[in-house]
Amino acid sequence: MGIINRARIYSPWLYHMHCGGCNGCDIETLAALAPRFDAERFGIQLVASPRHADILVTTGCVPKQFIPMVKRVYEQVPDPKVVVAVGGCACGGSLFYDEDPENYAILGSADLLIPVDVYVPGCAPKPEQIINGIVQGILKLAEKGAKKDAKQ
Amino acid sequence: MDPLFTIISIILILPISLVLGVLYSFLIRKLNARFQWRVGPIIRMYSDLSPVIGSTRIWQPLYDILKLMGKDTVIPGSAHKKLFVYSPYMSLIFSILAIFFIPFPGMPLLSEIPYSLIIASYLIIASIMFTILGPVASGSPWGAIGARREAELFLVAELGFVVSLFSVAIAKNSLSIWTLASNMESLPAILLTLVAGTTMFVAMLGKLHIKPFDMPEAECEIVAGPYTEYSGKLLGTYFLSKVFILYAMVSLFIAIFLPPFSSGFIWLPLYAVAAVLLIFLLAVVQVLNPRYLIRKALLWYLKIVVPLAILSLIVAFAFVLGWMVV
Ligand code: SF4
Repeated sequence: MGIINRARIYSPWLYHMHCGGCNGCDIETLAALAPRFDAERFGIQLVASPRHADILVTTGCVPKQFIPMVKRVYEQVPDPKVVVAVGGCACGGSLFYDEDPENYAILGSADLLIPVDVYVPGCAPKPEQIINGIVQGILKLAEKGAKKDAKQ
Repeated sequence: MDPLFTIISIILILPISLVLGVLYSFLIRKLNARFQWRVGPIIRMYSDLSPVIGSTRIWQPLYDILKLMGKDTVIPGSAHKKLFVYSPYMSLIFSILAIFFIPFPGMPLLSEIPYSLIIASYLIIASIMFTILGPVASGSPWGAIGARREAELFLVAELGFVVSLFSVAIAKNSLSIWTLASNMESLPAILLTLVAGTTMFVAMLGKLHIKPFDMPEAECEIVAGPYTEYSGKLLGTYFLSKVFILYAMVSLFIAIFLPPFSSGFIWLPLYAVAAVLLIFLLAVVQVLNPRYLIRKALLWYLKIVVPLAILSLIVAFAFVLGWMVV
């Protein structure tokens, strides 16, 4: 493994995108990054700008008004990138999602708009689960990075 | 000193300053975490995890930079392309050039030439100038706000920085860093070190964005401040130049205010102790303080730093007069 690809595993930076959930998942996501579990031990950091991020953590189902923002934030994250969907809402729309008749305000899960790599189900998932999801995301990130390096 | 040795030491100082700068920034992060009752970047990885994610995280800042080098770079359409792209590189070049003028134990480098103090301080200023210019060129409001805060902070921090350096230069009657760094401490010089050194320490807080003065990078207010629009290699270059600036500031502090720690090779252990202590102090200030409003920070600087700077100038002149009387 090249040194740059190893660095990808060693320093994943997260961008936390709250789409439109009930805030339960966000609290758990932040708990996963807080001192109790201290993700900085492994170099995981929460960044403020999507341009700095490697991993996009989305929580909540996507309201229709939010569609362009979700797409735009996803496009702003530079390659290689991984999307981790946290919570039942982000994985499949959960109780807000209706097929027939369609919900007037809620589109549904994030994977209707952007490719999602890792699903962390639960309402809300525990911090351990979220960390596990992020770890799976990191491994996918390294895979994608190796593919990108091979292409160049 | 002979030119061959100077060239060899210039080549040697690059890896040394990179390693030391990375270690310093690791130390700041680790101490921060420890003060906040966290673990921070881990020094010895848990044995079951180490095959997958490495055995240590001492080089964490370096890994961050390496990872950024391997990512795509997004250049926003609203940016002034040339300035946006070249600013990080210029900042890096100036910070590396500044290092060549600051002595390391056993290596005078270029600090022997006359006026090296002025050259080094200008190079550090130039490097910081380009961290203001790039964000302004990015066309993002967050970048502009961050750059403006950085410019205001820079103006006041500069005052303490320059006055403290030059009061030492006035007192010892020399503008070459090597002469200042190899002069043995005398009793009155210690007084000067205390006063001017405190001024310099406060100026360092502003220059390195240590906590009460980190409003340019206030993540909860203005996204990532100056760096909001930067990504990939350009951001990595900025971070690299930050690492070099950290090393440059610490070594400049030791060279000017704690002579003769950066003159002979035998002083290396004391140099290391001084550097670690300085980093420790920076980390303590970082964790103990909340962020200032920019207006309050300016007022604070005017209230505390300007009198301190004037005091150090008075001490310096008293020193010179004392010389004349003797
Ligand atoms: S999955 Fe549950 S906790 Fe999370 S946002 Fe949806 S409703 Fe809230």
